[in-house]
Amino acid sequence: MTSFCRSCVPLACLVVATSAGCGPRRVSAPVADAAAALTIREGLASTAAAAVTGGEAAVVGTGWASLKGRFVFAGDPGQPKPLAVDKDTEVCGKSSKLFDRSLRVDTSTKGLADVVVFVRKSSRVKNPVPDAPQMFDQKNCEFLAPVFAARVGQPIDVRNSDPVGHNTNIDGTSFNQLIPAGQGTTYKPDTEMGAPKAVTCNIHPWMKAYVIFRKDGYVAVSSGDGSFAIPDLPAGEPLEFQVWHARATGSGGGVVLERPDLKWNPKGRFVITLQADEVKDLGTLEVPAGSLGT
Amino acid sequence: MNTPFAMLRFTLLLAVVVTAVGCGKTPPASFRLNMVQATKTAAPESGMEKPWATWARERQGQVATILEAMYGTPDDPVALAETGLDLAKLKLAAGPVRSDIVGRKNGLYREHCVHCHGISGDGMGPTAAFLNPYPRDYRPGKFKFKGTWRDARPGREDLTRVLHEGIPGSSMPSFALLPPAQVDALVEYVRYLSMRGETELALYTYAEQELGVDETLPTTKEFLVDEILTPIVEKWQGAEDARIPIASVPANVDFTKPGDDPANRESVARGRALFHGDGGCVKCHGVTALGDGQANDYDDWNKVIVEWSKEVTGGLDSTQDDAGRTAWLHAAADVIEGDALRPRTIPPRNLRLGLYRGGRRPVDLYRRLYTGINGAPMPGVGPSGPGGKGSVADAEIWHIVNYIRSLPYEFDGELGADRPMVAKDRF
Repeated sequence: MTSFCRSCVPLACLVVATSAGCGPRRVSAPVADAAAALTIREGLASTAAAAVTGGEAAVVGTGWASLKGRFVFAGDPGQPKPLAVDKDTEVCGKSSKLFDRSLRVDTSTKGLADVVVFVRKSSRVKNPVPDAPQMFDQKNCEFLAPVFAARVGQPIDVRNSDPVGHNTNIDGTSFNQLIPAGQGTTYKPDTEMGAPKAVTCNIHPWMKAYVIFRKDGYVAVSSGDGSFAIPDLPAGEPLEFQVWHARATGSGGGVVLERPDLKWNPKGRFVITLQADEVKDLGTLEVPAGSLGT
Repeated sequence: MNTPFAMLRFTLLLAVVVTAVGCGKTPPASFRLNMVQATKTAAPESGMEKPWATWARERQGQVATILEAMYGTPDDPVALAETGLDLAKLKLAAGPVRSDIVGRKNGLYREHCVHCHGISGDGMGPTAAFLNPYPRDYRPGKFKFKGTWRDARPGREDLTRVLHEGIPGSSMPSFALLPPAQVDALVEYVRYLSMRGETELALYTYAEQELGVDETLPTTKEFLVDEILTPIVEKWQGAEDARIPIASVPANVDFTKPGDDPANRESVARGRALFHGDGGCVKCHGVTALGDGQANDYDDWNKVIVEWSKEVTGGLDSTQDDAGRTAWLHAAADVIEGDALRPRTIPPRNLRLGLYRGGRRPVDLYRRLYTGINGAPMPGVGPSGPGGKGSVADAEIWHIVNYIRSLPYEFDGELGADRPMVAKDRF
């Protein structure tokens, strides 16, 4: 017995040593091309004035126009899942049960709500940034607006209409403030977002909404029946629109749909030039079920 | 010679041979791409001619090349003048551990930091998986314990302080025994790894948002320096101007005396009211302050993995007829499995232990309360930026600090439901 164990210790060691192997199973990561890196580095270190690349002068038009349309969901949205409400249950979900709101489709019109449409770059803005605060409220442990759009510099009245405290945590910003029961605070967004970001309450982890802050304010969120409208757009110049939805499977959350006339691309974008005083109606924009990952 | 001894010798010999052969020649140290973000931002688009994997590798390879151009390698760091980084300090911290010609220690990062924080500063060194909490991943540029506004970068003094004091309650030790020049070099190297990581993220975001399937990243100075690097460097250089104001301490607060001292009784009572009221602290730290309130949330570093993982699992579960998308989802699942630490929830701190990760001075607690903790769920009770309005007035925050200081010593009665275990019960 003793002699057996004397040999079994190193044997066990051997087994352990070989089975531990060479570290965790990591995927192979692409590596740098050293020669190419050196060439790029020389270019970056050079102090020579940059060659003026023949940038086309941007077309600037005059006048203003509007864009509108309506998103419908071509598929079966299914039943929304109830959310697991396990905190402050004497308040949360008490006045009405809470459901997952990531895909809100109107049952009769098939209208798809919460689609964000915004201009990626604009040269002119008609209206100054409003001073009047925009309300972002939470009640029944739910953000009232599932998707919220505001203009950079416009004050937002972050409110808590619940009898319990919430913290409002806006991803990608410095805003994660505790809002005591029945109180509010004002937040002025200072940076533009390239895509909507999540807003959460860490105290009640099921609470989720999205916000987008844009400098020019050319952003709309489709309403319950799927319709949206952006007024006062600069006319006479090509405008690139981004279409986004929380569930979209396109790259960067872009909604992909079949509209060859608009050259709708795989990032969920299209370019359109509006005429002065035109009210352009894109009509019904049918979002295939696959585009929202259902 | 008896048989058991022969067997023992044979096994030992075998063990020596097997371990000596090892895992092959060690290649020179190289930075590793942030495979989570590299893959997450490389969703396939329609109109791709190449198979997804080939296409993604080309784009990721280009990012690796650009990063090497801008930042060099772990053995030979490069700092563009625009970064404002001190190359001499970086060289002291980088490379393998060695002494230079005057006998000065080099390779400090690999001597002191790499086993937890990883060669790329990704917080995934060899020991990382065994630590709780996980080591910091520097690449998103987010740091918890600092005196600047929530989303601002830490100042050099903040990082120096963490190196000096360590982080009590975590595996981060104190490096107070290192000479100041070495601490400086390490601070600079952390800033370097962080800027590098942020540059990498910015390149992925740009590629995802701006590039068509057949386009590559520009490599001009206008793009890489002016558009990508400058906004990142501005944040780091702006850290010194982004320090939060510290309100003067109210007259009824005496931090030289314990929380239960009569001098502090009024202030502690006020702090207690705020803790349970407008401060909202009880929501997560619990009425007992044991950290037993809301406790199933993740910090920002883990949340990325948790949420992406849900998306990928959901995608793999639904039927896929698109080969590119299927390839992407499978690659994503592999990256989550092999290139990220398993996500862990972040429990709210037990405030009765008298253990404060970001430092135990009253001003440290004040800062944690004022801005909250960047990257963690902890919200601030102060304003979110200059000119804002907090849920608790600046000077009043000192009362919460005072109350928190009193918590480890609050109770004297019998242990029970309304008398939880406190620090002094443990000794």
